[in-house]
Amino acid sequence: MSIGSWLSERVPVDGDQLRELTNEPVPNHLKHWWFALGGTPAYLFIVQIATGILLAFYYESSPRVAWESVRHITDEVAFGWYLRSVHKWGATLMIATVVLHQMRVFFTAAYRKPRELNWMVGMCLLVTTLLTGFTGYSLVYEQLSFWGATVGANITDSVPVAGPILKRMLLGGDLYNERTLSRFFVLHAAVLPMTIVGLVAIHITFIRLQGVTEMRFEDEPRDEPKHFRFFPDHFYTELIMGLLVMVVLSALATVLPAAMGPRADPLVTPEVIKPEWFFYVAFRWLKLFSGTAAVLSMGFVVMLMFGWPFVDAWIQRRRPASELHVWIGSLAVLAIITLTVWEAVVAH
Amino acid sequence: MAEKPKDTHEPSSVPAKPERRSVLLGTAMTGSLIAGYGTFAAYAARFLYGAGAKVATAWMYVTEVALMKPGDSMRFVTPGRAKVAIARQGSSGTVDDFVALSSTCPHLGCQVHWEPQHDRFFCPCHNGTFDRSGRATSGPPFEAKQSLPRYPLRIENGLLFIEVPTETLSSVDADADDEQDGRHAACEYVPLRRKA
Repeated sequence: MSIGSWLSERVPVDGDQLRELTNEPVPNHLKHWWFALGGTPAYLFIVQIATGILLAFYYESSPRVAWESVRHITDEVAFGWYLRSVHKWGATLMIATVVLHQMRVFFTAAYRKPRELNWMVGMCLLVTTLLTGFTGYSLVYEQLSFWGATVGANITDSVPVAGPILKRMLLGGDLYNERTLSRFFVLHAAVLPMTIVGLVAIHITFIRLQGVTEMRFEDEPRDEPKHFRFFPDHFYTELIMGLLVMVVLSALATVLPAAMGPRADPLVTPEVIKPEWFFYVAFRWLKLFSGTAAVLSMGFVVMLMFGWPFVDAWIQRRRPASELHVWIGSLAVLAIITLTVWEAVVAH
Repeated sequence: MAEKPKDTHEPSSVPAKPERRSVLLGTAMTGSLIAGYGTFAAYAARFLYGAGAKVATAWMYVTEVALMKPGDSMRFVTPGRAKVAIARQGSSGTVDDFVALSSTCPHLGCQVHWEPQHDRFFCPCHNGTFDRSGRATSGPPFEAKQSLPRYPLRIENGLLFIEVPTETLSSVDADADDEQDGRHAACEYVPLRRKA
């Protein structure tokens, strides 16, 4: 009995079924490179899992030794500096590409009926990715990451009704304590990645069920077929993107390796304190308004983003030709850039 | 030819009101699932919520009341190495003369520090400022009308006592560092300056 027939008896999937599963035709606009922005964070997520598992072999999630274990990884373990730097830059690029993918979906209005639910799944992915970045940064247990974690945990306290319970469950006590860091570690290395895996599975299932949004560009020849094969054509695009990303990650890790600040001192907040760049917006917002007002307004913005497809549908019913979403999106991007740059250039 | 085995799942000849039975079965199944997994979820939530133990505190001696004149201030270091600013603001001789300010900002929990050049406490996280009595003067704490928290004080036989947490995350670290125990720093105080 050949290996092929032995295997086919035990895995009863024939070539046609496999092709059916992988060869869904995708619209021509996916040949444009910027439409690989959805696959890029997925690829980066795999990089994060691989480097994260390797780092976890050495990391210790107790405040007594966490900073020292990160220093050991960075300074003493073979290629520790490289893997930690790739993990750090992978997180940065993952968040950046998730945001860019979301902007692409928003400005091309790809969230419209029947894809409203998938937009909401994507929003869940954005929030989960940001939380993973937040908990990951706190694990270094350096001054800035410690105070960032303290501020973040206290922000949950400002959430009406459930806030104090959430904060307590996050910290494992009323204040940041000896048990807090291991909670952040479990969230960062198990709970949130598992959540991302589940959400990505739902996200891709929706895409397969509904197909990719059809778009046509003016420069496309009219007589060309409207679709091309996902496998291998678009798959190759994603592979090349993956290779490019790996080159960029390695270059960044080598030229700008992940550094370490001073060890966390729970009794002294540094004179100049900043979170990771992707929270600059929220950090500046918190300086502009009192705690509860800032948290409630940020919560309102996030809720509006979640429900945007339905708000947009409501606008479309009244003014079908309206391109209000483009204006609102442009204003939001401008506001995000302004607040981020503002926070980046001033000390306080 | 062998007789076809009888399907044991065939409905009996006298159905006993199948709708009612299926409703009952469905209700029982749903109820059992909710009760079973709900109990598990409740246990898990309680497990994550923690033991609920409050931060341990103790009353500690600070100084003789007579040694602090109105306008004096001093720094008290708790067993957990947290610094507390204690000031005397009145001359009645009662505990109301004294304030012991926590350095934890009421906004989002960062540590404030004293800026003598501006005569204020400053929080570097979100630019909150407080006057020497701990009242917010600008920034998010001012908008939310939040003052610096105060530690309880009491006077007994002319001695000033303060109630402070006995441990902080910092003292836990100190225990691990070396033989130098952070707790040995208890009651150490440094007079800051007397107001002119």
